[in-house]
Amino acid sequence: MMEVFRDWFEHRHDYAKQWQKKTGGKVMGYFCTYAPEEIMYAAGILPVRVLGGHEPQAVTEPHIFGMFCPFCRDCLAQGLKGNFNYLNGIMISQSCIHLRQAFTSWRLHVPVEYNYYLPFPHGVQNPPVYKYLTAELRTFQKSLEDWLGSTISDTALDHAIDVYNTNRRLLREIFDLRRGTHPPISGLDAMYLALSSQMVDKAEHNVMLEELLKRLKTKAVSGNGNSRIRLMLIGSENDDTQFTNMVESLGADIVIDEHCTGTRYFWNEVIPQEDRLAAIAARYIDRPPCPAKDWPDRRRIPHILNLAKDYGVQGAVLIQQKFCDPHEFDMPAIAQALKKEGIPSYNFEFDVTVPLGPFKIRMEAFLEMLRGEELFV
Amino acid sequence: MITAGIDMGAKTTKAVILRDGNVIARALTFTGFDQKEAAEKALADALAQAALNRSDVARTFATGVGRQQASFANGSMTEMAADTKGSLLLNNKLRTVIDVGAEEGRAMKCTAEGKVTDFAVNEKCAAGAGSFVEAMSRALELPLEKMGEMSLRSKNAVAMNAQCTVFAESEVVSLVHAKTPKEDIVRALHDAIANRIVSMARRVGVEESVGLVGGVGYNIGFVDALRRCLEVESVWVPEQPEYVGAIGAAVAAAEAA
Repeated sequence: MMEVFRDWFEHRHDYAKQWQKKTGGKVMGYFCTYAPEEIMYAAGILPVRVLGGHEPQAVTEPHIFGMFCPFCRDCLAQGLKGNFNYLNGIMISQSCIHLRQAFTSWRLHVPVEYNYYLPFPHGVQNPPVYKYLTAELRTFQKSLEDWLGSTISDTALDHAIDVYNTNRRLLREIFDLRRGTHPPISGLDAMYLALSSQMVDKAEHNVMLEELLKRLKTKAVSGNGNSRIRLMLIGSENDDTQFTNMVESLGADIVIDEHCTGTRYFWNEVIPQEDRLAAIAARYIDRPPCPAKDWPDRRRIPHILNLAKDYGVQGAVLIQQKFCDPHEFDMPAIAQALKKEGIPSYNFEFDVTVPLGPFKIRMEAFLEMLRGEELFV
Repeated sequence: MITAGIDMGAKTTKAVILRDGNVIARALTFTGFDQKEAAEKALADALAQAALNRSDVARTFATGVGRQQASFANGSMTEMAADTKGSLLLNNKLRTVIDVGAEEGRAMKCTAEGKVTDFAVNEKCAAGAGSFVEAMSRALELPLEKMGEMSLRSKNAVAMNAQCTVFAESEVVSLVHAKTPKEDIVRALHDAIANRIVSMARRVGVEESVGLVGGVGYNIGFVDALRRCLEVESVWVPEQPEYVGAIGAAVAAAEAA
């Protein structure tokens, strides 16, 4: 059953092309999880997240600064190499300047039918933000309507909100099962669930999630059945399945994560209001924040600590894309907060490809350390 | 009880025979391409020295980057754990152990029981490790064993930004062109490596006493640079510091009883 989710993720381009052929609908590549997908979905569009390919490349050098992160570089490379040549449109919801550079460069060098820059505000804690973003979403909706030549009805928005909320609820229910002593699914499987939901029609995804949840609850699937060192992954964008696989092969269970490719993507739902766009705006403003938007209060750290406690985490792996300043800036504070709770952490700096050998040695040493501490308890 | 420890490093493979907590024999060989053969050879040499047979050894543990290749070992552990165990056997006052080998620099913080509580490793770059010193010794046409002594004669600190071995070499060339005395260049090199290692050690938090293990421990100029940069009274260096990882593995093999 897990293979379905893995295949969706690994063959995401094939899926999108087939969807396009089957439905005649438009596919929109989006660059950051602050993108209000519900509006696109309500317009009959399939939103697919642009992620990297984890292969060394030499095509982005003239377009991206040397000290910009490998993720934005890898994303742009996918566009320049034509891997997303089926896209009808691209859009970004402002998060960080690195990813915006990938978007603007893409727009310039890989022309598509439609593109949109949504100025999502950074000050998500400022009271006027709800009104402001609602107005921006209205402009975005109008722009989509002009492009498609049809209006997006409230009924369509309601349906989209319902499909998206269901997806979030199902993912959370499945993730909740990992709080037990024997997580029924591995961290790698959980990663496939969350990642595939970012590129597959959510209605279709929901059907499979429901089936999976039923099986997990009735224990028709034994899962990995382990009760090993319980780890949490924390940090920036991470779709490096090889790394996760390596970590779990060393005798650890990744039981929860705090990545925009993982739980930050689906953790909270849209709370319905009469003004649908206001409801959607509030959902994105109130979601577990990206560190680029986590000011002046630090809301991310208490959220991380809650997750760690809730999921019985023994150690945390802090992952950061090289040169990602917002995350780099957050790491010392997170490490300190975790330490206060008795949870040791270890940092890894990610690149387009990661050196699995040296990373493995460090991961082994970290696990040795965690096991050693267990002896003293 | 007699146990053996093998440390399969990037450049050399070390074997140690331990009898009741005392090192009775040690041997070193180049790791080369066939790592398993290197492990077998180092162990055979050490056993020959101790006039023992393989069957006299109760247990063998392996450590080091190539430890998986020593398939005949009864157990294995990471370099961080082995370095710490080995160091604490020789000096139980240590709370911070720094290991500078051929291609890796590491810093470990540990408890009195020898448990690692935190560690850091150099990433993707050998500018803070032994291969770098060797490359610089070639660039300066100065034998490796003379580098330490010469740098201690330096009276001037010259700034050098050794971010990478290749760029550091071009910095050395510039200093040579500027007629900088050789002893000052060598000291600048040692200071640059020490800076990198100490930055790493500060990530885990430096607690005294501090020990330095690994082959670069032979370089008295580097030891001095490390001491100055750490701002500590002294840095403890054992005799034959390259064997400490292997000793730690042998200790772990004895403890596994």
